[in-house]
Amino acid sequence: MTLYLLRRLFLLAFVLLALSLLAFSLAYMFPGDILQNLTGLRYIAPEQVAVLTTEYRLDQGYLAQYVAYLQRILSGNWGLSFASQQPLLQEIGVLLPATLELAAYALLISFFAGIPLGIIAAVKPEGTLSKIISALAITGYSIPVFWWALLLIMLFSLGLGWLPTAGRIGVLYEVKHISGFMLVDILLSDSAHRNDALLNALRHMLLPTLVLATYPTTVMVRFTKDSMLDVWEQSYIKTARAKGLNRLQVLYRHGLRNALLPVIRQIGLQFSTLITLAMITEVIFSWPGIGRWLIDSIYQRNYPAIQAGLLVISTLVISVNMLTEILHRLFNPLARKR
Amino acid sequence: MARFRLLADEHQARSPLRQLWREFARQHSAVAGLCLFSAFFVLAIVAPLLTPHGPYLQNDNLLLLPPSWSELGLVQYPFGTDDLGRDMFSRFLVGARYTFGIAVITVLGALLAGLLLGTLAGMSKGVKSSIFNHILDLALTIPSLLLAIIIVAVLGPGLLNTIWAIMLALLPQFVHGVRNAIAEQLNQDYVIAYRLDGANNLQVFSRIILPNIWERLTVTATMALSTAILDIAALGFLGLGAQAPTAEWGAIIADSLDLIYVAPIGVALPGLLIFMAVLSVNLVGDGLRTAMKKRREN
Repeated sequence: MTLYLLRRLFLLAFVLLALSLLAFSLAYMFPGDILQNLTGLRYIAPEQVAVLTTEYRLDQGYLAQYVAYLQRILSGNWGLSFASQQPLLQEIGVLLPATLELAAYALLISFFAGIPLGIIAAVKPEGTLSKIISALAITGYSIPVFWWALLLIMLFSLGLGWLPTAGRIGVLYEVKHISGFMLVDILLSDSAHRNDALLNALRHMLLPTLVLATYPTTVMVRFTKDSMLDVWEQSYIKTARAKGLNRLQVLYRHGLRNALLPVIRQIGLQFSTLITLAMITEVIFSWPGIGRWLIDSIYQRNYPAIQAGLLVISTLVISVNMLTEILHRLFNPLARKR
Repeated sequence: MARFRLLADEHQARSPLRQLWREFARQHSAVAGLCLFSAFFVLAIVAPLLTPHGPYLQNDNLLLLPPSWSELGLVQYPFGTDDLGRDMFSRFLVGARYTFGIAVITVLGALLAGLLLGTLAGMSKGVKSSIFNHILDLALTIPSLLLAIIIVAVLGPGLLNTIWAIMLALLPQFVHGVRNAIAEQLNQDYVIAYRLDGANNLQVFSRIILPNIWERLTVTATMALSTAILDIAALGFLGLGAQAPTAEWGAIIADSLDLIYVAPIGVALPGLLIFMAVLSVNLVGDGLRTAMKKRREN
């Protein structure tokens, strides 16, 4: 296990190194001046050019430039955004929690809705209930996320007027940025209107979370069902049944534990799709997260922001991938032995 | 007269492909998906012949014509016209070429490249394949939309540029799939037997490995195809892929979004078409998977 962890860590370091190399080379590949792309300064005074060139080691070879880039990344100096001329790391620090919050709630919903539904569908695979669940799952799996979001907005926000269309919270409420997670921040604040704010934030959150949760939920349903059906045919299930355990006991003690293993792995594999979907959802619901910021950045040709976004999002996806793989190992003695 | 039965079961004497089709045809949903899929495929090829009007022809006299079932509509324009007087129906038909047709081409490209790279990785051993895998892992972690954003930033927006992004994003799963399937095949006894007969790498690959992995590749390809359609449409919708006049379904939705109250059909129908296209692909893919599983059980 220790050796395995070390190997994973080594792999992580290697992938992150390759990622930083890619991000660095993007500064050269993007159109425009290399110094502007690296610093994020829109206007560089002529007398500043020489100073910055030495600071960024642009007068030296590529390797020295890359090392300087790495040092800057590690020390937290990520350059400025073209659009706002604010430090990028600070902007990302505000935006990333919003995306994480959305993705986390969507994943939670997919757990609590998808896994039970998948189990129900696997109990009687030829039954009507199972067919309905499968039909719903394949529908949710096929629906284009932006269209689905537009449909829900048309129905619930514009048609019925129940829910707001955009944003994280009404403009009337002012919530101090502590953790970046809106619900946590509201609970931490000591305002008199805390409950109102909480309700308002939840109303804003409902539609984007539902839209984003659609895809992971259907993936969960499909995978839980498939792996449940696989496990159900194993001989240890028959043994357990023969020993006199009832259905529920077999399901919980032997079925579920084995069937959920591939599902854990699937979370890691689907995480990058989830982030793509979160970016689109954010654009439609004007959710102030990193996805909308990145898509705005491409409209504004904000190259330093794209570079930083690549680093942050890919690191996030890699870490989640690694984490689920290690968890899969931890929970699965068979894989641990090898 | 005595009747001889050389084989125990008639069904097992059929070719694997026949058996697969038999199992596939038993599932109604899969057959319905296949019909829909074929319809989209044919539409993508012959769409320009079917359009009643030019999809880019602007008619100043007929701006924002309602659909033909409303009283103000014209029967020549079944779904009305958009704000530039272009026939919606023709645009929807031609859209199949962009969203569906280009997705098919993208997946085929990724499949061929994946087959090549996966074979190289699967047949090679040691450090070379390990380094290769790690580079693939990196590619797998960059979300497809982010990859598209980067490629658009470097090359500029456009359908062709986003196709590269989507192809790159699809590539790793093909390479992984091919590599794992080949590694599995190379361990089989019949491969060793064939090698002892004097077969070289190329013969092992073309005679044994390829026939044994193509089914799995088809299933991967259907999954990739549904991703590709959704990605092309999403990028068109965001304005990064197909650009404004192009009749790509996602771009049409983005175009008609500001007129959603006046002409909701411009948002509703292209979305429905994307959904149907993806659904047909998924139904076929699911049907294939189930059929393969059942055939193996028999």
